[in-house]
Amino acid sequence: MLFRNPNLETDSDDTDEELQEALAAGKIKPGLIVEQQKKTFINNREGLGDKIKEFSLGKLKWIERLDLTNDPAPSIEPEDTASLENDDFHREMRFYRQAQASVLEGLVKLANMSIPTKRPEDYYAEMAKSDEHMKKVRSKLLEKKLSMERSEKAKKLRELRKYGKKVQQEVLQKRQKEKKDMLDTIKKFRKGQIDKVDFLDETIQRQNKQVTDKKTFTPNKKREYKNKKFGFGGQKKRSKYNTAESAADVSSFNPRKAQGKGPSKSTKKPQGKRPGKNKRKTMKNKK
Amino acid sequence: MAKRKRISEENTKQQTGKRQKKEIVLPPVITSDAPVHRQTKWTNKQRTLIFSSRGISFRTRHLMLDLRTLMPHSKAEPKMDRKDKLFIINEVCEMKNCNKCLYFEGKKKQDVYLWASNVPKGPSAKFLVENIHTMSELKLTGNCLRGSRPLLSFDKAFDSEPHWLLLKELFTQIFGTPNHHPKSQPFTDHVFTFSIQDNRVWFRNYQILAEDGSLAEIGPRFVLNPIRIFAGSFGGATLYQNPHYVSPNEYRRALRRSQASKYNNRVEARMSVQLRKPEMTYRMDPTDEVFQTITAESVKNSQ
Repeated sequence: MLFRNPNLETDSDDTDEELQEALAAGKIKPGLIVEQQKKTFINNREGLGDKIKEFSLGKLKWIERLDLTNDPAPSIEPEDTASLENDDFHREMRFYRQAQASVLEGLVKLANMSIPTKRPEDYYAEMAKSDEHMKKVRSKLLEKKLSMERSEKAKKLRELRKYGKKVQQEVLQKRQKEKKDMLDTIKKFRKGQIDKVDFLDETIQRQNKQVTDKKTFTPNKKREYKNKKFGFGGQKKRSKYNTAESAADVSSFNPRKAQGKGPSKSTKKPQGKRPGKNKRKTMKNKK
Repeated sequence: MAKRKRISEENTKQQTGKRQKKEIVLPPVITSDAPVHRQTKWTNKQRTLIFSSRGISFRTRHLMLDLRTLMPHSKAEPKMDRKDKLFIINEVCEMKNCNKCLYFEGKKKQDVYLWASNVPKGPSAKFLVENIHTMSELKLTGNCLRGSRPLLSFDKAFDSEPHWLLLKELFTQIFGTPNHHPKSQPFTDHVFTFSIQDNRVWFRNYQILAEDGSLAEIGPRFVLNPIRIFAGSFGGATLYQNPHYVSPNEYRRALRRSQASKYNNRVEARMSVQLRKPEMTYRMDPTDEVFQTITAESVKNSQ
């Protein structure tokens, strides 16, 4: 595209006179934009057809040429032709499928002509790629496979580690909670708020408190007697009052003693009873 | 065993018969110690001269050697001087007794052009070779017999236009190994694939692993971008010119230019923004503000 305007030439190197001359000579036309002529491309269809006829070997049998023209074999997944230009994988797959379709067609054709296609196992001949090269290819394949396996394994391990960490945290929290609960229950048990506690695979049950106390603490005989005599613990006040029961209690009533009949005959002077003071004095003087 | 017997019968027939016209048919599987039958019917006598100019890169050289190993009907020739005229190649082919030619032309130590020609009458075609991968790449895992005849697989698009039809015929004659060629092997274990995509011809070579159509790529792979088709061999009238072709020089120039004009574009854009920016966004009367009472609340809101 060229920008030419003879009326508005200010920054161009061309002077007005030159432009006028050019306009007169017909080199430029009036108007703002002069379109550049499009390049023409040769496409001599007839010539091409003639040339094909001239040098074609189409009269030869197919077996001499082995050429096949076909569409790609049907693909498994739907194909998007628009994306093919920049999608290496799908493009290569298309070529592969085209070759596949040709092979399927060509091998059948050859088989119909009873022409061998398959190489026997014991037919050794020089290959396009040397054994050394194929060894390299195989080692490379193996290496790739191994590296893929390794990376897969590492990925799995990483995931597992992540999961394991989570699990461990949960376990720790659970353990701590259990410990706390246990300590709580023991505390409660000690304070006497609960009677039963599961501890180290055995159930500890609270026994009666007094029993346990008696077992642990027994006073000596003298104390026991004194306790019995004077009482231990409890309220002393009003303990000597008569109650309905004590009033009704007639177990201490002795009819022999009662009604002024005096002591019973069986009552004797207790042996070894200490004599009175005067008697003891006189006895002393006699000696 | 039955098949073998049949062959021996055929052989006796051939010996006793008047004309030895009957084709020798090999069974699908033969033992290695079976006697080799000489193939006599070699009718499609195509010989392809494969060589290059001086100044090709190592990759192109490897590609050329790969093609030589894959095509038993090919012949070699020392590199040609760059100053020599192209029509000399016709004479070289004649001396080498070849009627087809593949000529690699290196330019600027980076661009590779390929001439494919039918010698001496034409036609010939010139291509730009892109995306070269040689057979020695380790990711190409297939392998095939050296000298076995390939199947030639063409895209359906080759039948759509006359220039593609011509190229198809040319490729068939150049790349196809003739039947019963003395150096060829009697088995079919690989397939050359020519596909059209993006106005280019994509070449692939696959090994046939099994009859069910599983393949492995052998290599080489390359893309041929057609430039022109000539009526003669290495010259003559142009029959076809590719309108989509952009020469690598032009492409590189465009790239460089786009990089160079980055700064200029930025400066221009800034200038144009400044020019386009209006000084006043809205015509207002300054005396209007006189009647606005300023209260404590409005001040607070403005803050």
